[in-house]
Amino acid sequence: MSTRGCAIILAIVVVVALAFPREHSAQAASAALDARANPSQSLAIVVNRSNPINNLSFSELRKIFMGDRNHWPNGHRIAIVMLEYGQPERRAVLRLIYRMDEKTYQDVLLRGMFRGDVFVAPKTLASPTIVRKFVFNAPGGIGYLRASDVDESVKVIRIDGLLPEDKGYRLQIDESSKATDD
Amino acid sequence: MQKASNLARRRLASVPTLIRNSWLGRSLSPHLSIVALVLVLVAEVGVAVFVIRDLSRSYATVENMYNGSVQGLLRVGDMQYEAQETRRSTLYALTTNDGNLQVSYADQSRDADRRVTQGIAQYLANARTAQETRAGQQLAKDWTDYLRVRDEVLGLILEGSSREAVHLDLNLGVSEFDHVRRDLDDVKKSYDAEASQQLATVAELSRASMGRLTAALVSGLFLGTIAVWAIQRSRMRSAMQLAQLQMDFVASVSHELRTPLTAIMTAAENVRDGFALSREGLFEQGSVITDQANQLMAIVDQVLLFAATRQAKPTYFLREIYVNDVIEEALRSTQSLIEGAGFSVETKIEADLPPVIADLSVLSQCLQNLIVNAVKYSTTNNWISISARMDPDENTVLMSVQDRGIGIDRADLTHIFDPFYRSPQVVGARIQGTGLGLSIAKRSAEVFGGQLTVSSQIGVGSVFTVHMPIAGAVRHEASSTEKAIGGARA
Repeated sequence: MSTRGCAIILAIVVVVALAFPREHSAQAASAALDARANPSQSLAIVVNRSNPINNLSFSELRKIFMGDRNHWPNGHRIAIVMLEYGQPERRAVLRLIYRMDEKTYQDVLLRGMFRGDVFVAPKTLASPTIVRKFVFNAPGGIGYLRASDVDESVKVIRIDGLLPEDKGYRLQIDESSKATDD
Repeated sequence: MQKASNLARRRLASVPTLIRNSWLGRSLSPHLSIVALVLVLVAEVGVAVFVIRDLSRSYATVENMYNGSVQGLLRVGDMQYEAQETRRSTLYALTTNDGNLQVSYADQSRDADRRVTQGIAQYLANARTAQETRAGQQLAKDWTDYLRVRDEVLGLILEGSSREAVHLDLNLGVSEFDHVRRDLDDVKKSYDAEASQQLATVAELSRASMGRLTAALVSGLFLGTIAVWAIQRSRMRSAMQLAQLQMDFVASVSHELRTPLTAIMTAAENVRDGFALSREGLFEQGSVITDQANQLMAIVDQVLLFAATRQAKPTYFLREIYVNDVIEEALRSTQSLIEGAGFSVETKIEADLPPVIADLSVLSQCLQNLIVNAVKYSTTNNWISISARMDPDENTVLMSVQDRGIGIDRADLTHIFDPFYRSPQVVGARIQGTGLGLSIAKRSAEVFGGQLTVSSQIGVGSVFTVHMPIAGAVRHEASSTEKAIGGARA
């Protein structure tokens, strides 16, 4: 095979490799958008009721979860809570907000703490109920829950102006993504 | 020896008389004893009422104290514990970085603070004085202030700002919690004071009750002892009287027996010594012996009859009898006595009198005793009236024996039916007798449901009346007797 032929084949492989994930992501996003009305599949971002924030853009949300932002406008330290490893909600957050798998997340977290970039590590809690109680007790707490697990003790904030039940809400749990994420 | 024996006998015989005449014999009567017992009962009941009232008040005070002060103290104790638990759980959250544990401690702290808040609300709801209300309001305010700090501390701990949390707790939490502690102590002190006051009341009531109970016991013991002593004295007195009567009876009967026996012995000696050799003489002595023997027999019969009436279950032959038959039988039996004494008998018997239920011989004996008495105690006017009539009001037949004899003193009327009793007047007049006749007559009437009454006046005479219920209206005593007899006679 000539060098030109090899280059063409390589180009085709690269194009196909790059095209496939995009197509896959687009399909997933479409499926997520279609599932907007299912509260058990929507992931609500919850904060303490005393928190003045009602709306966050997705990028701000990502900054908060990535530890790039440490305090709320009212001065309270942001306390992120994560569900334990293996929970669908945690997988969804890793996939949609952190955009990384579990291992990468752990590496990034450890590295950040070692360097001092991450001042307080996210709290890992055992169940949605404990998450709810934590956010209720901590004025600076922020966490995530299935929309069906939310109650009056916490406040759900809008992401890009949308609530979990709204059409086009981005944070959806994909139960089938377990094998891929792990 | 003989003299000493006689002396001892005389002394023994004088003992009842001495006792009867002493203060012991004249003191408390049975009525007075009963009055003493009633007094004891009344006193005891009176004291019991007071004691029950005191106990009731004590109980109410204790209950009030329990529901108020004691429960209040318990509630304050609970609140103190829960307040400490609120703070303790908050601080426990500082000791771990595990978010799950921190949330668990936060939960515990909030549960405890909820119980304290409820306790304060309950205290305020039960507050009875302005002071209690003020104390409760102050406690509620200070507790709210502390909770505000607690919430901030808890939030800082959960957010991972432990240093700030400790700083806040030391600067504000401690002082706010001290306020709460002081408020709770104030509430506790008010309950303590109230409880002490109520305890003092209970102690006072208990002392009063104890005093009354002691007084009741002492007075009851004292009066009871007096009553028992009086009753025993009364019984002893009765026993002594009975003993005296029995001694009198023995003396009387001995005398009664001795007189005919002496006559019999004299007559027999006359025959033995040949003083009565002629036919007429022998007849005369034989008649004396026969008459005196009959008299002896009569005395012995009387004693036996009295003993028979005293049996627990005497046996009678009950049937319907007419008083005409009773009177006829009595007159037949006493005919020789009446004629011998030269008495005239007047009988007035209503026609068509209904029958009564009795034993003919016993009822006749009753009437005989009355006739014998009438003869015996009529010294000048030898007249006897025997009558029978119906008392429709009482449904009884009345049989009366009337005499114009010496009469009975009013004081003796209550004793003449006592066994062995002989009035001093009769004894003084040396009229012989056993003192059993009227007792037997009374018992004979009563055993068939009847009764024996008397009316008498000194120097005018006496009327003894037997009241017998007519057949069909016989009282239970006779029926029960009839049952026993029916079994015996069947």
